[in-house]
Amino acid sequence: MTLGQNLQVGRVLRTSTRSFVIGCEVMRPAIPTFGSFVRAEGLAPGSVTYGLIYDVCVEDDRFVRHFIGADTPEEVIREMRETRQVPIEVSVLAVGCSDGETIRHCLPAQPPVTLDWLYQCTDEEVRAFTARFDYFRLVLEAREAPADELLAASLRIAAAAQPEGERETFLIDAGRELARLLAGDPMRLEGLLHRLQTR
Amino acid sequence: MTLELSRLTGQVQAMGEELAARERQYADLVGLARRWLAQYAARGESLGHAARAIRAAIPTGEPLDAHHALPAIPDRIAVVAADGSQIQPDRHGAVLYHLINIGSLVYRHGSGEAPETRSVPTLGYTEEDLYEGGMLVAGNLLDVRRDLAEITHLADVSAAEPPGPTIALVDGSLILWVLDELPPQERQGKMADYLEQLDRIRQAGAAVAGFISRPRHGEVTRLLHLASVDGDANRASQEPNPLERLPDRAVFENLPPGARSALFINPSSINYEQYRPAGHTVYFFYLNLAEAGRDPVIARVELPAWVAEYPDRLALVHGAIVAQARITGDYPYALIRADELAFIGGPEREAFEDMIIKSLLRAGVRSALSPKAYYKSLTRGGRRKYRR
Repeated sequence: MTLGQNLQVGRVLRTSTRSFVIGCEVMRPAIPTFGSFVRAEGLAPGSVTYGLIYDVCVEDDRFVRHFIGADTPEEVIREMRETRQVPIEVSVLAVGCSDGETIRHCLPAQPPVTLDWLYQCTDEEVRAFTARFDYFRLVLEAREAPADELLAASLRIAAAAQPEGERETFLIDAGRELARLLAGDPMRLEGLLHRLQTR
Repeated sequence: MTLELSRLTGQVQAMGEELAARERQYADLVGLARRWLAQYAARGESLGHAARAIRAAIPTGEPLDAHHALPAIPDRIAVVAADGSQIQPDRHGAVLYHLINIGSLVYRHGSGEAPETRSVPTLGYTEEDLYEGGMLVAGNLLDVRRDLAEITHLADVSAAEPPGPTIALVDGSLILWVLDELPPQERQGKMADYLEQLDRIRQAGAAVAGFISRPRHGEVTRLLHLASVDGDANRASQEPNPLERLPDRAVFENLPPGARSALFINPSSINYEQYRPAGHTVYFFYLNLAEAGRDPVIARVELPAWVAEYPDRLALVHGAIVAQARITGDYPYALIRADELAFIGGPEREAFEDMIIKSLLRAGVRSALSPKAYYKSLTRGGRRKYRR
């Protein structure tokens, strides 16, 4: 699989098999949004862990508070927004892994390592990963993430990565898979499909 | 928690009472110092020689009690600040190394642009990095390397600035303090390196200054005592100085908001033996950073002769430092940010050390914390897992 462009999101701070947290310096427009597909390199050469961003958190900062209410120069306001290392943490739910050859929709055998880079998946990688929908179960069962919102957001992103004429088919196939998985919970299925349709 | 706070309550209370008593005594001393400052204000020129002999502030020709109001600064002015931090080598660690991290900020007043930030870490791990003159590079030796890295970075950034008024700010004194234990030739070499960077900043067209927050120097009070004994250096050395423990800043707390004191010359021997021949004689003044209606905040500003002796450059430094301090209230914004960019926090350090261990493992090197470090990491809440 070719990796295409390597948009770095940040470095891994805390990690476990199910999820991991990365740190970013600043909130850039290019930072992947909620539901984006990302990947981190694993310990074994060529291995990759795939994940979905489920939370972006800007931590409290006493220095910024110092300027609230003050007559703050434009230079300082721009620095706080654009360049200052305010701690931004991005939480990622692990949804798959690869040994460099085969993508599997399961939890990785080993989590990413502290300070490894996290990259945004290219459209090509998203298409390869979403060729099957086995990862739905991992998302639907996640307790740490808003599962239904996350799955709907990730499906919209995955649909956008498909060729234009195949997007609707992709979403219909995804909806069928959801109907199969949530057959025993029609209320939840209805809510999820509604999220997919209305946004 | 192992610190038994209940056993400290009595001592803390006694400390408070002691400090209150000292404050009352302090007020009397400040009164005496200010009377002397006014009384001997015109005697500066006659005190120079003796002042140098007893390491008192050396007057520069203006009245000792002169003060200069806050000057206007150009609408556009760049302030460049650099600061550094380091990880000391730890012989109990998994591997012997040191790390110097330099942070810098370029703040362009009046531009409306976000300041430029840089953070430059340098890892020392080779034999040449780790040892100098047979000694492990730690403590003062590493401090000196950090100071040199700071001033070199400041010179680099100053040189890259477009033409226009530029102030280069150092956090602390401009006088490089190198321990005597180092062989004279090596001390001389470090000093020459530092002075060369001051030359580069000068050639870049910037004005450099060292900013010292809450200074504890007692050089002006020593000068006042000297004046009170008719400028006799012998008497000043032998007779008790009632102002001995009074810091200079207390004398200048009556400076108007934004105003600076008279200029003085730093009396340290290094200044005369090293800085002066290179054209960088270090001057200083005290400055009240506070806005009107606020308690005074006195800082000491050091600057080389090629800034201090030119009124326009001196005014530029004076005005720019106050402008920077007014952004936050009472401390230069650029220095706060440079410190933040340089600072290596506990979690960062821990993550960096994990990265080193991972790298060693990948390279096939088996390393270990010493037993002492390992057990400390357990009892002090560390979360290291590696012990091989």
